[in-house]
Formats: sequence, C-alpha cells, structure tokens
Amino acid sequence: MLGVLLRRLASALPVLAIVSLITFGMIHLIPGDPAAAIAGMSATPEQIANVRRDLGLDQPILGQLWRWYGDLARGDLGRSLLLGVPVLDATLQRLPVTLALSAYALVLTLLLGLGSGIVAALKQNTWVDQAAMVLAMIGISLPNFYLGLLMIILFAVDLRWLPTGGYLPLWRDPLGWLATSTMPAISLALLLAGLLARITRSTMLEVLRQDYIRTAHAKGLPRRQVVLKHALANALIPITTVVGIIITLLISGAVVTETLFSIPGIGQLLTQAVLNRDYPMVQGGLLLTTALLVLINIGIDVGYALLDPRIRHDG
Amino acid sequence: MRREFLASVLLFGLTAAADAKPFVCPHVGGDLVFGQEANINTLDQMTSATISTRNIAMNIYESLMTRDENNNPILELAASMTEAPDHLTYTFKLRQGVVFHNGKTLTSADVVASFDRYAKVGNQRSILNNVKGWDAPDPATFVINMKVAQPTFIESLSSFSVPIVIIPAESRDVPAQQLTSPIGTGPFQLVESVPGSHVKLKRFDGYQPNTAFEERTGFGGYKQACLDTVTFRIVTEPGARVAGLQTGELQAVEDLPTKTLPELKKDPNITILPLRNWWIQITTPNTSTPPTDNLTFRRAVQAALDMDEIMDAASDGNYALNVGFQYPNQPDYTDAGKETYNIKDPALAKQLLVESGYGGEPVILLTDKDYPPMYNSALVMQQQLQAVGINAQMKVVDWPTSVQMAGVSDSSWNFFFTGWGTQPALGALATMQFLADPGAVYRPKGDKGDPELLAAWNDMNTLPDAKDRQAAFARMQKIVLEKVYAIPFGSFTKVQGARANVKGFVPFRIPRMANVWFAN
Repeated sequence: MLGVLLRRLASALPVLAIVSLITFGMIHLIPGDPAAAIAGMSATPEQIANVRRDLGLDQPILGQLWRWYGDLARGDLGRSLLLGVPVLDATLQRLPVTLALSAYALVLTLLLGLGSGIVAALKQNTWVDQAAMVLAMIGISLPNFYLGLLMIILFAVDLRWLPTGGYLPLWRDPLGWLATSTMPAISLALLLAGLLARITRSTMLEVLRQDYIRTAHAKGLPRRQVVLKHALANALIPITTVVGIIITLLISGAVVTETLFSIPGIGQLLTQAVLNRDYPMVQGGLLLTTALLVLINIGIDVGYALLDPRIRHDG
Repeated sequence: MRREFLASVLLFGLTAAADAKPFVCPHVGGDLVFGQEANINTLDQMTSATISTRNIAMNIYESLMTRDENNNPILELAASMTEAPDHLTYTFKLRQGVVFHNGKTLTSADVVASFDRYAKVGNQRSILNNVKGWDAPDPATFVINMKVAQPTFIESLSSFSVPIVIIPAESRDVPAQQLTSPIGTGPFQLVESVPGSHVKLKRFDGYQPNTAFEERTGFGGYKQACLDTVTFRIVTEPGARVAGLQTGELQAVEDLPTKTLPELKKDPNITILPLRNWWIQITTPNTSTPPTDNLTFRRAVQAALDMDEIMDAASDGNYALNVGFQYPNQPDYTDAGKETYNIKDPALAKQLLVESGYGGEPVILLTDKDYPPMYNSALVMQQQLQAVGINAQMKVVDWPTSVQMAGVSDSSWNFFFTGWGTQPALGALATMQFLADPGAVYRPKGDKGDPELLAAWNDMNTLPDAKDRQAAFARMQKIVLEKVYAIPFGSFTKVQGARANVKGFVPFRIPRMANVWFAN
C-alpha cells in the first residue's frame, strides 16, 4: 500500500512541473492588458501605464518566467496583481469555501445518484426505473446556471425559504452555511447525480446478472444482503472511478455556481484572475488546484487498492 | 490676487449657515446590505481607479479637498486653503480634532506622508507634476509649493478619480495595491473584507463631521453615520441582485436590468433610483489607418449615425441624447459642435463616402462583451454603417484585449467602443485629457496630436481666467466633433434601487452611506 502511495506521489511531480509551464505560457499568450483590467473602464492611458509600471508588467516575458520559477523554488507563489495579497493566502482563503460546497454537493450527488441508480437497477423496466432515468436525464440536461436562477425565484423570492445568495463560513455559522449553500449544492449536484445514477444503474444491472449473485440468491441470502454486500461491493470499482471524476468536476465546475450565488470560492477567484489577466494568481492558483486534484486522484487510487485486493497486490 | 478657500463660504455662504442646524440622524442603527455589481480588487484607494473600489473606499477615506453635489471643489479635511498671490503656494489649515479609525489624531505629518506615498504609487500621480514639494510647518498646517503656476491645480487636487486620500503616516511606505487594512478618517471603518464575497464596514464612533456644512454634499459636507454597519455584498449576477432587493436581503442595489423595472415599480417596498449621466457612451476612431485616417470618411460615418437607435440598444432605453463631453447639468457644459451630432442622414453619408474615395475596404469595429452597452452600440452602429454602404465588421474580444488593441495604432481596428464615466463627471479638464498627447485615444499618426486641438488643450490648462479656459474647452470640443476624433453617442443612465424604508440614499458617483438611515 505504501508503495502505491509513494509511486503515485512521485509521478505527480512532473505533472505539476508541466502544468506550471503550460499555465505560464498560456496565460501570457492570451492577448489582453492586465493593467487595463486592473485600472478599470474609465482609466486614462496615463493611469493604465502607471499600473503597468508599478506591477512590473512592462518587464520582458523571459524575465517574468525566470522570476516565477525562482520564487516558486523558494515556495513563493507570488502576489496577486488584482488583490495585492500573496497568491497562497488568497487561494487558501478561498479553497475551504469551494471544498465545503463541493463536499456538500458530493454528499447530495452520492445520495441521489447512487440511491436512484440502485433502485432503478433493482426495479428494472418498471415505472420506478423509468421515472428515475427521466429525472437523471433532466438533471444532466439542465444547465446549472439556469437551474440556479429557477431555484432563486422559487425558494428565495416566492417561498422565502432560502437566501438569494451570499455565503457564511461553515465554521462560523453552520446553520447559515447550510442555508446559503443548499441551493448552490443542489444546482451543482443534480447534473452529476444524473450521471452517477445512469452509471450506477448500468453497472448494477451487469453485476446483478453474474452467477455469484444467482448463487447468493439460491443460498437463500436475504435480498438486502445480496444487493449491498455482494452486488454493490463489486459494482463499486467502476463507480469509484466515476466518483473520482465527479469530485474533479465539482471543484472545477463550481465556477458558474459560485458566480451566480456570490460565493467566494476558488472557481470565482480563478475566473476573475483569468478575465483580468492576473498572471500570478492564475499561475499559482492553478498550480495549487492541480496539486489538490492530483492528491484527490491519488486518494482514489488508494481507494481502489482498499476495495480490490488484486490492485493492492499488483501494485 | 490672494484666493482664500473656506468651506462654508464656498458652498452655502456664511449667512445661510447662521440659523441652520446640521443634519441629525432621524434613526440610528441597522445593517444596510448593498448589492454591488463588480468584484472589488483592492481598498487601496490611492492606487485604484476602479469604480468598485471607490464605491466602498470613499466611505472610509477622506481627502484635503473633494467635490460637492454639483462637482465644485470643496474643503474636506482642510478648514481653509489660501492660495498665494503668485499662485505658487497653497497653504492648508487642517480641521482640528479629526481622528483616524485607529484613534490617532490627524496632523499635517499624516498629510505629508499621504502625499509622499501618492507621489510614489498614486495611480494619477501626474496631478503632482507641477508641484515642487510639500511640507508641514506645524501640526495643523500643510503647504504645497508649485514649480509653476497651474490655474487648474485645485480642480485636479479635488478630483475623486483617484483621490489623494489621507492615511496615517505609518502607511507611507506600503507598496502599491498592498494597503489591505485601510485606515482613514471617514464616517465608516473597515470590519472585514472578503474578496469575492463582501466588505463590511461599521460606524466610526470617533468621526468628526465637517461643521462648515449642515448637510452631506457630493463626497463631502456634514456627514454622519446613522447605520450601525454597511455590508457591500458582491452580487455580479443581475437576476440575483433583483431577487435580493425583492426579498429584502439587499436593501439597496446598483445597476438594475431595465426589463425588471416595470415589475419592481409595482412593488411598494422598492424605490427605483435612476442615476442619470452615469457615463458617456462613445466610440473613438483610429486615425492612423485607412479608411478612418480620412476626415471625409469619418464625417460620412458621423452623418450615418442615429444616436437614438444606438443609445436605446446600448442602455435598454435608459439614456439621454447629449452633445459632447459634459452633461447639461454641469458648469462646464457646452453644446459647441452640436451640428455634427445625431445627423442620421444616409444620403449625406453616401455623398461623403463618394467624396472620400472609399473603396469598400473593411472597417473594423473593436468591441467587447464584458460591457454589454459597448457591444450593443457597436452592433447597431455596424447596421447603420452597412446601410449606407460601409463594409463594417465587428471584432469582439474581451475588455482587457480591446483596451490593449486600442492602444496600438495598427490596422487591426478602426473604431473602439468604450464608455467614459468618471472623467466627464469630474469636468471638462479631466475628460479632454483622453484626447491630449501622449496616448490620445484617436491614435494620431506618430502619436503626434492635431496642433489645433493641442493648442486648445493647452489653453484649457494654462489660461488664468476661468472663462477663457471654458472657451478653450468649447473650442476643443468643437474641433473634436468636427474632425471626428471621437463620436459620443449619448449619456447612459444607471438605475439603482432601494427598499422603501431606506431613507437618505441619493444616487451619486458612489453609494454614499453617510446620512442614510432606516425609517422605523
């Protein structure tokens, strides 16, 4: 197990090095003047020029690359041009917000996706199966931005059950966090729950047709035990793969939801950084986010090894 | 002549102040949540020209001088200002008893430190180009010494574009954009700033209002914080701002979409507050490249345009037709060059096109979708130009890219679409700098502007008599319009809204939170 972990960690280093170079190249290749974005719409040419000079944006690109890697080697991700604070601080301030929202959405995704997928498989070709799959299709088809707006109108404006937006940190006000995060989490979760439901259904159907399931039934095991212990446990490997992808999608897909609901997460931070050509923020923020996603994927790999002894022993 | 500048004399006159009582909050308390449309990048006011920063920071900071409701310069932290007969020295006496949010009493040492920092990192440090230096002969006195007399110096010094806000002397050496814990002398002080989410301010109990006034006026005057706290919540999605206002989660918001106004007007709990003359919707030509290097061609474009159609699309119907670069309610306003505005004569445009020798080459309209008014105005202008036979083509990029491209005099664009907001509000001088060298927005060949235009600009800056400077502005505006160095479409109205129980909230260049209270 330790070997698996170490090998995966070692293979992550070149990934991060390549990502950092690509990110630097891409953000500098995009046309657009960060000084213009920072200075604002009504800025005069003089004001824009002052911003450019003050922030070192008039330096040659190779010099900027050299400085980026030099600072990186010292563990310094630079300072956001837009926010004026260290990139690491800005990212660490926003990351927990996105992670908490993603975790909430993941719980909803798993509950809805796994639950409806299993039920649909067990009730194959019944109205329950049809209804679950129709709902899954609706979830997949509805843009989460549109769904979010509909929820605001229904739950915030008409019913007044939930706030229209804003954010309260989980650790400061758990109930407030629940109120402000529920609509964003649902709008994030529905799309992915639909995806998970369809995959869970097809995987479960495949497993339920296996000989060992028939044998388990023949032995007289209770249905619940057959489904949960034998069928679901064996279906979990492909489902785990999908869940890994879903976690990545939740974190990277929070951009639109965070913008709509005014949630100060990493998605909103990086979107603003890209739109405003905040080079250090994009470079550092994407590097940290990539590192996080790499760690999550390593976690998924470790999960495989725990679920399937063959993987554990093959390394 | 020696000029003395006393706040009370300037605005209301001493006689008016005799019996009047200063503003008293009818009700104290409450948290006002304001829905702000744009993210705030920094609260370091000296280094930011963005509206989103000013919206919040100008409730925290104050300056020696600022502008009143009608955009006239007024004293704020200064009790008086004396201009020497040779116009080379300005002596400011500071108001006594003013304290910073950290409890420290304001002295001239803080003013010196603030000017020192502004000269180093201030986003509009050219304000101080003609200044030789400044010093503090005593704790209550601050003196500015000029290299040369500059008749417009007070106008520049009181500018709210990037004001020289007064900060404690300890912050003198903080680098640009890094003043993350703002401490000022304003009626509200910072509680917390969570980028992307909100900025929370609270009433500064040690605030000393400017007793030279009785009421808030513009950015200054007699200010009182009636609210316990103010939360500027970043709500970039218009639909969410509307929903927040309807539910009462937001007590005031900016930039309401026009299509929601009929429904909002029916709601007795909501007050709609139009903020007229928010910006001038405008396009500027690239005169370095064909065919827009040809004056007759530019006049053909000018003749083809129907400003009502363009402004209607740009603003969703919230606009006013407006000649030139100032608004009719401003002292600098002139309609010089009005005969060039809103001609909408396709026949004349076609005739001028023939005279210009135009051969159907592409005319690139450079615009962006980050600001829908810019995109929409370009779209309508494209249709109008095509209708008279001009091969108008849109080039749509994002805002930073369009600004970068418009700063280069190459053949990649012919018209650049933008909005001039803060500068026209500041006055003619601030506005016309867009058309002055270096970096004039009409991109003259070799970055060498039209001598006739520059002569008028020079007169605007240097003539000692205000009337003569105003005449120079009228002359400059006429030249710009006649030579089509810019095509202003009209003035844009921004619509704000507030809950009906919010009192004293009057639309202005920033959401002013002083003298705003909740009705019981």
